[in-house]
Amino acid sequence: MLDTKTLSERFEPKVLAALEGLDLKARYVMEGFLNGLHDSPFHGFSVEFSDYRNYQPGDDLRHLDWRLYARNDRLCIKRYMQETNVRFYVLCDTSASMNYRGATAWSSKFECAKILAAALTWFLLRQNDAAGMVSLGKESETPEYIRPSQRPSQFGLMLRHLEALRPAGGACLSQLLQHAARLVHRRSVILFLSDLLEPSEDVALGFKQLRFQGHEVMIFQVLDPDELEFPFTEAKIFEDLETGARRIVAPQMAREKYLSRFRAFMAEYENLFRQLEMPHCVVRTDSNPWEALARFLAERKRMH
Amino acid sequence: MPFSFFNPWFWLGALAIGAPIWLHLRRRRETNLLRFSALRFLDDNPEPRRSPMRLRDVLLFAARALALLLVVAGFAWPYLPAVNRVPIRESRVYVLDNTMSHQANDGFVKDRQRVLSEISAAGRDVQVAVVELAATPRVIVAFGDDRETARQRVEQTLPSHQRGSYLAAFRQANSLLANSLGEHKRLIFLGDNQENQWHENVNTPPFLRDVEVEIPKPEAQVLPNLSLSEPRVQRIFLGDKSLINFTVKLSRVGQPENANIILRANGQVIFNRAVELAKQPESMMLQAQWEADPMLWLKGDVTVEGADVLPADNKVFFSLPPVVEGKVALLAQSPYLRLALSRDIMRGQWDARILDPAKLTAETDAGKDADVLCLESNYLQSSEARKLLWRYLSNGRGVILFVNRVTPTINGYLRELGFESEGAVRTPAGNSEKFQFILFNHPVFHPFLSPDYGNLTDIRVSQYYRLRASEAMPLIFGERGEGLFFQGGKSAGKLFVAAFGMERDQTSWPVHQTFIPFLDLALQTARAEDPTPTTFEPGEMSIIQLPASLNAREVVLHDERGEIARARLEQGKAQLRLPDMPGLYTLTCDQNDRVEKVFSVNPSPKESQLTYADSGDALKLWRMNPAEVAKTKPSSARTQVRVAGVLQQRLWWWMVLGGLAMLLAEMTLAAAARRAA
Repeated sequence: MLDTKTLSERFEPKVLAALEGLDLKARYVMEGFLNGLHDSPFHGFSVEFSDYRNYQPGDDLRHLDWRLYARNDRLCIKRYMQETNVRFYVLCDTSASMNYRGATAWSSKFECAKILAAALTWFLLRQNDAAGMVSLGKESETPEYIRPSQRPSQFGLMLRHLEALRPAGGACLSQLLQHAARLVHRRSVILFLSDLLEPSEDVALGFKQLRFQGHEVMIFQVLDPDELEFPFTEAKIFEDLETGARRIVAPQMAREKYLSRFRAFMAEYENLFRQLEMPHCVVRTDSNPWEALARFLAERKRMH
Repeated sequence: MPFSFFNPWFWLGALAIGAPIWLHLRRRRETNLLRFSALRFLDDNPEPRRSPMRLRDVLLFAARALALLLVVAGFAWPYLPAVNRVPIRESRVYVLDNTMSHQANDGFVKDRQRVLSEISAAGRDVQVAVVELAATPRVIVAFGDDRETARQRVEQTLPSHQRGSYLAAFRQANSLLANSLGEHKRLIFLGDNQENQWHENVNTPPFLRDVEVEIPKPEAQVLPNLSLSEPRVQRIFLGDKSLINFTVKLSRVGQPENANIILRANGQVIFNRAVELAKQPESMMLQAQWEADPMLWLKGDVTVEGADVLPADNKVFFSLPPVVEGKVALLAQSPYLRLALSRDIMRGQWDARILDPAKLTAETDAGKDADVLCLESNYLQSSEARKLLWRYLSNGRGVILFVNRVTPTINGYLRELGFESEGAVRTPAGNSEKFQFILFNHPVFHPFLSPDYGNLTDIRVSQYYRLRASEAMPLIFGERGEGLFFQGGKSAGKLFVAAFGMERDQTSWPVHQTFIPFLDLALQTARAEDPTPTTFEPGEMSIIQLPASLNAREVVLHDERGEIARARLEQGKAQLRLPDMPGLYTLTCDQNDRVEKVFSVNPSPKESQLTYADSGDALKLWRMNPAEVAKTKPSSARTQVRVAGVLQQRLWWWMVLGGLAMLLAEMTLAAAARRAA
């Protein structure tokens, strides 16, 4: 169903980078994605036909089935089944590690996460789903909460909030998850965007808590190719983005160990998410973002 | 200088070294730094066995190394013992007198030759500097200059016509020696030992410290000389004639017995005659009159030809601007004054306006002030007249007051002007007082030295007021010793006060032939002067003031051959240094050929006094007390030597500069390399 080749061809990181504002970027991503999926991106997916009922004065004539009227001489109104009325929450990691951008990436991890979050919000609101957001404020002690809503103005609100976010500080995922568990009461779907570069033990508790509260959590793990492949060749001073710690590293000697550790780290998280039945999607900052969206849609189909 | 952290040189040096290095290192670290997000997976990775700072860019490394080397070497240079291997035994400063008087008997040329030969002969352990004694003493050879440069500069120094100060030159030389490296400091004065120079500036605090002064003995006490000075030119109107009254001082020292004097004005020879000087006093005033067009600039010169040793002072130049009609406000009943200032008499010179005593309020309010106010004291009874007079004086305009009546009110007002009446003096008929003493040096009375304009001492005064003036200068005294004519000195404007009125019952002056010239001269003198003088000394700096209405950007100074200097004109003022050569110079504006001013540049008359003397007391007073020197010697002497040593090492500065330049080049190179990467 998903023509990835076409999508890849269509995706232009330069175009994306040149676009001003998160709004345009989100639309570019989503419309590109939906164009690849269907001829008409706004019909036939979120709204599905259910059955008929007799016309009553006052009904909107747009929903009258004229064909049926022509065939049977009966005035019937088409009824649609709203696919979901689920509340979605976007949770975005704002730790300083998200600021990393490798040489081959089209944007930093944080920028990529923001675009994805905005695109998903736009998409959900188009389907009449309610979208909200939980993030950490400047002082990570106080969360910032946007109540889910279906109103079109919600998109603007979410965008403004996303644009105001700045990656800074150290590990914050467990705090973010705890805040989400406290603030999200009704059963909801949580879209979690992060690089997850924190020990899984610290974060696992938060995920478990959400899961036990009945929420569905979808993980978008945004990673840079440098983190996945460690392609460095020259010896350099490496400085940790979150802690500021420095180390002289000779990459040829360190690569093997790094990769094995990284794989172990990823495996730990994958096990965790498997146990918790949380869809986990790795988003690379050097590839197009539709892959993540396709994964999201597939998971959503599965859930419903 | 003992090492101290409080020494500003230390901090300056530390900053100069530290700042570029810190910037450099900081930038270098930045380029090799990678901010990474997953450092936790590298926590225990082994340290690299070889240095990551591999030498990749040899050029960059060389630039860095050279920069560092130059900076370090530059700062270390003055302290390297090898550099100062030749100890400086002696620091020597020549003060070469280049004033006009030293041209006598080729004194300057001989001394210049002496300096040249001594510079060549001086060994490597002798530092030499030369100070030129001119209007402003200047260092023509510094200690750091090499011998060839020094020779060239001394050779290029030409005799000047300026007057300089021995004291200023000695001070300049002393400051050079204070910052010199030599153990032995010598000041060699090569001048003519003019007596008037040694007598000037004797009362100055002592300043010569640890300096051996060598002054050659004067060869003679007096040298024969003829000189001209103090040219003074005035325009006098006699009837329809515009006469030029010219005086010049001829001074003679020594033997010259005959001289030929030539006076030229506007291209014509006015006077050319041999004068016998043998029986004449040493100083005499020569006077000449001739008719000249009042609408033209007067330009001329006088030359005296005779046997003397200093020809440079045998010629003086003079100039006089064309007549500009002035305005007089007259508040007087005297028919003589009214007649004398009428258009028929003063046409083209003075435009008189008779004020109506009943309309003085309107006159005060209108603010149409004339150049000079002429009034009689009886009008001072009116408060409006008093206000008017005071306004004239406050605004810098001239007032001529004839005291023909004194009342208590008038006396009170005179007191405000600095005069006090002590009663009237009336002499019996036929026994009136004559002018007894007249200050002929004053511009109003100077032309009356010549009998051609009449004899002022013939004038009689029969009634006058005895005025006591605390702040005024009497210019004429009567036979009883009472001041009869005064110049006030209290106000901004010029004030002349006559102790009598211009009436026949008070004085015979209105019917005397001197009356009209006197009135004209008094009005000319009372009128506000042009703020820019027209006579200067060679090399003098002048502020030239032109009318603010003149729309010009620059003033241009010309001599006979063409343009010689140019200066920017701002708000009607320009600063200009007059040339060194005596002569006549015209001033124009921008490209305009209209002559704005004509300046005459003449040497100082003091330079013509070829009387010589030993330095004597002057030098003793200029030297510091040995006890005082000893008190301050240990610390300050060492300070001076070291600081001077550091400052005078040119190479030191060049190395530091080179080091900084290399650092800059290296940074540019590194930035370019990074961009290319």
